[in-house]
Amino acid sequence: MLARPIRAATPAVMPYAALLPMALTVIVAYLGTMLWTLRTSFTASRTFPSDKFIGITQYTRLFDNERWMLSLHNLAVYGLLFILACLVIGFLLAVFIDQNVSGEGVLRTVFLYPYAMSFVATGLVWQWLLTPGTGIDGSIAALGFPDFVFDWIVDQDLAIYTVVIATVWQSAGLVMALMLAGLRGIDADIWKAARLDGIPAWRVYVSIILPMLWPTVATVFLLLATSVVKLYDAVVAMTQGGPGTASEVPAKFIMDHLFLRSNIGLASAGAIMLLVPVVALLAPYAYARSRRARSGA
Amino acid sequence: MYTAPKFKAFALACACAAFSPSAFAAGAGAAAATGPRAEVIHWWTSGGESAAVKQVAQAYRAAGGVWVDTAIAGGDQSRAVTVNRIVGGNPPTAAQFNTSKQFFDIIEQGMLNNVDDVARAQNWDKLLPEPIVSVIKVDGHYYAVPLNIHMQTWIWYSKAAFQKAGIAKEPASVPEFFAALDKLKAAGLVPLAHGGQAWQETILFSAMLANLGGKDLYLKVLRDRDPKAIASPALRNVLLAYKRLQSYVDPRSPGRNWNDATAMLISGKAGMQIMGDWAKGEFTAAKQVPEQQFGCIAGLAPNAPYLMQGDVFVFPKTRNAQAVQAQKLLASVVVAPNTQLAFSKLKGSVPVRTDVDASQADACAQKGIAIMKDRSRHLGVSEVYLTPDQNGAMQDVLTAYWNTNMTVDKAQKNLAAALQE
Amino acid sequence: MMAQALRTPAVQAPVAAGARRRHFTPARIGIYVFLLGAALFFLLPLYVMIVTSLKGMDEIRAGAILALPVDWTLEPWRQAWSTVCTGASCEGIRGGFWNSVKITLPSTILPILIGAINGYALSFWRPRGANLLFGVLLAGAFIPVQVMIYPLVRLLAGAGIFGSLPAIVLVHLVFGMPVMTLLFRNYYASLPQELFHAARIDGGGFWRIFLHVVLPLSTPIVIVAAIMQVTGVWNDYILGLVFAGRDNLPMTVQLNNVINTTTGTRLYNVNMAATILTALVPLALYFFSGRWFVRGIAAGAVKG
Repeated sequence: MLARPIRAATPAVMPYAALLPMALTVIVAYLGTMLWTLRTSFTASRTFPSDKFIGITQYTRLFDNERWMLSLHNLAVYGLLFILACLVIGFLLAVFIDQNVSGEGVLRTVFLYPYAMSFVATGLVWQWLLTPGTGIDGSIAALGFPDFVFDWIVDQDLAIYTVVIATVWQSAGLVMALMLAGLRGIDADIWKAARLDGIPAWRVYVSIILPMLWPTVATVFLLLATSVVKLYDAVVAMTQGGPGTASEVPAKFIMDHLFLRSNIGLASAGAIMLLVPVVALLAPYAYARSRRARSGA
Repeated sequence: MYTAPKFKAFALACACAAFSPSAFAAGAGAAAATGPRAEVIHWWTSGGESAAVKQVAQAYRAAGGVWVDTAIAGGDQSRAVTVNRIVGGNPPTAAQFNTSKQFFDIIEQGMLNNVDDVARAQNWDKLLPEPIVSVIKVDGHYYAVPLNIHMQTWIWYSKAAFQKAGIAKEPASVPEFFAALDKLKAAGLVPLAHGGQAWQETILFSAMLANLGGKDLYLKVLRDRDPKAIASPALRNVLLAYKRLQSYVDPRSPGRNWNDATAMLISGKAGMQIMGDWAKGEFTAAKQVPEQQFGCIAGLAPNAPYLMQGDVFVFPKTRNAQAVQAQKLLASVVVAPNTQLAFSKLKGSVPVRTDVDASQADACAQKGIAIMKDRSRHLGVSEVYLTPDQNGAMQDVLTAYWNTNMTVDKAQKNLAAALQE
Repeated sequence: MMAQALRTPAVQAPVAAGARRRHFTPARIGIYVFLLGAALFFLLPLYVMIVTSLKGMDEIRAGAILALPVDWTLEPWRQAWSTVCTGASCEGIRGGFWNSVKITLPSTILPILIGAINGYALSFWRPRGANLLFGVLLAGAFIPVQVMIYPLVRLLAGAGIFGSLPAIVLVHLVFGMPVMTLLFRNYYASLPQELFHAARIDGGGFWRIFLHVVLPLSTPIVIVAAIMQVTGVWNDYILGLVFAGRDNLPMTVQLNNVINTTTGTRLYNVNMAATILTALVPLALYFFSGRWFVRGIAAGAVKG
């Protein structure tokens, strides 16, 4: 840890001043909202917040609700698959594109363009593509596999996996872009040294490059995690949470009760329940990081 | 460095955008307006709906007002914006809601102006059907003006499909209805075209409840939420009939939009669809004519209930004299017979008043208008009687029962729980 | 040693990791096969969208989504841009274009700038309590946007700016801050700390180091941040709808009016055309940002 600079070129307050917008946003917008949501979850609020406190009734109602419990289960399954698939596919795409391939610009745009499109329309296209009979499986059947049927999207247990497919399609390109930025930041001498030592390329990637990419991977993981928790547009566009309520997710449950059903009390309880595991996971991680940071540079 | 020129370019572009033409236009436009200005939030955005709302806008302009259109597709989004703008202190002059309990909370908070003068002057209690009055009149005051009436459970059928299946006459009772479905299935067609979305499944249930259960059971279950009625064998039969419909639906129905189901009728691949009268728009767009290529059945009994839903305008509270004047003018324009006819003709609905000249309406609308004259057949859809939350909970149960192996007894129990909240 | 090693020679060609030989080894063939296969998967929906947008509604109702149009028509595109109904007015989606630009530019620049400053302060200066603030900020990124709308409406109404351009820019700043800060903080954390310490010894202050040392090294992450923020803001619907005010409604509101309808007819061909038209701006950004993925290697080009 360096001692204070010889010339006090910076007033000690400058970093704090620079972080003022962040502090304001966090305290007023985020903390304020979290506290307000917490308060509302203890009331019988309908369209508007009310002052009628009813204790934890909204929470008991929440956990008695089959739709909510199913949405939590779906979120866990979806989250695991989505994050894994995006990381793997994004990483592979970045690595392969980085291999001095021709047409890199075109390829990069091909993988990134899904991210640019509004999911309202692309979700519908995926619904069409995955509908048994008239979708892809119809074309494959016509090509000579007449018994091929892909009916996950109308299946109670498999519908959520179709959402995985469509959202990986949308997000893998961004993961690729982030990984590519990270890869391009790794100094080229590593490669020269590795080649001199005769290490095969794939081992360089696994044992040397991946660990160096750790900050990028951490960033990507966090970004993907936020989009998992907030998953809404894709489900609405593709399956409307169906068939029935089979592909329900928490964000959609919350949204439906917020606007459609005019029950912001229940929606707030759902939002708090969604936040609790996030805080529970982030808090020890952040604490560990800050302890490490304070003890050593 | 690379970044500095980039930021400069952005800043320059930003400055240019700030002085774009639209900024000037908005200012100029406001200055030129005369007459009571009404900003109306609604969700009529597709072709036919858009043409319909233009009729209202034109009628309002003809009466001397200025119509400012704020269209937001999707009912729940539109209503969310309305509520947020009221809370934010920037309310519209009028906003669309459904004929339902959606705006009760807003009334409770005292955020709406009433239109009592117009209502009493035109004797709405006598003029309008009872289900509609029950949602717009709260504590003796009238808080919304109705625009139209849609019937939720019309049975549409493709004449070509009926011919192919050898069905000679329209089914006029529930057993005949199921017999017709069987004939269609035997002929290799899709008997019932259906889109697997929760609200469409609720329509099927409502159709069975109204036609099989009858008006009394319907009201006891949905309006009174009587636990005995909900647990009764009569309702059990209704639920069984509802689930029976599923065997007539093709396996690709989950998630399908209602228009695509109507398309199956248009192409003759399917026989019947139970859907509201907005479905006429799809037939018309495909150049099919009622009673020629397709038919419409209002109910499966001579006096089957006519399930009404519709749209209303509410008027957010304001003390601005001009705005209040605009609200009253809009209310009186909307209920005028000419506006009613013009709007409903393009929207596929029927007018709210029974004293209109029906000769211009198409064959199905004329059937509807004739039935409307019989007050004993007036009934509201579920959201007329249930709060949005209860209605949603009921939808959850119905769609789960439709899509899973839930037993009818469990479904009946869950329904009771959903309606008690 | 670091400085010399980082001065990479060929600035024009992409920095290649791995072999420079271009022989058709099985590995290279495998690479191309994988990339082309992935490209097909990624392009499939676009193909369906384009093909649908060039068909008439009768063909679409017939249902063969992968088939090429029998009767090609550009009518849906013309309609989408200038004549499709989005309410009582039938002027297509073009009306919102300049509004979207007006909203997107400040809503990209400001969050990126503040995200960079935050990331810089968090990773190099680390004032007390900053990490705690950052932790709460990150937790906030997990809250669904709609849950925060009502409190923000009350806040902005209280400040008197609800329903205006500053309101929507402020809202985008609030919602963009977690991700932007995360991106920059983690990126700067991977830069060598010696850079920073050396600059401080040389007498650099907070802003001098930021402007002259850190910012020039930030090009790749600024590009990525710009891609994410422009896409997020340009495609944003609900925030613009609620906070921007009637005169500033972005293009996505018209797009939604075209696509989304409860009881009206659906013109799928126009919907697809409208979606592609709306996506052209972020797409153009992706395509033209490619140059910066090639140049500007992180710790490479400049060392003071």
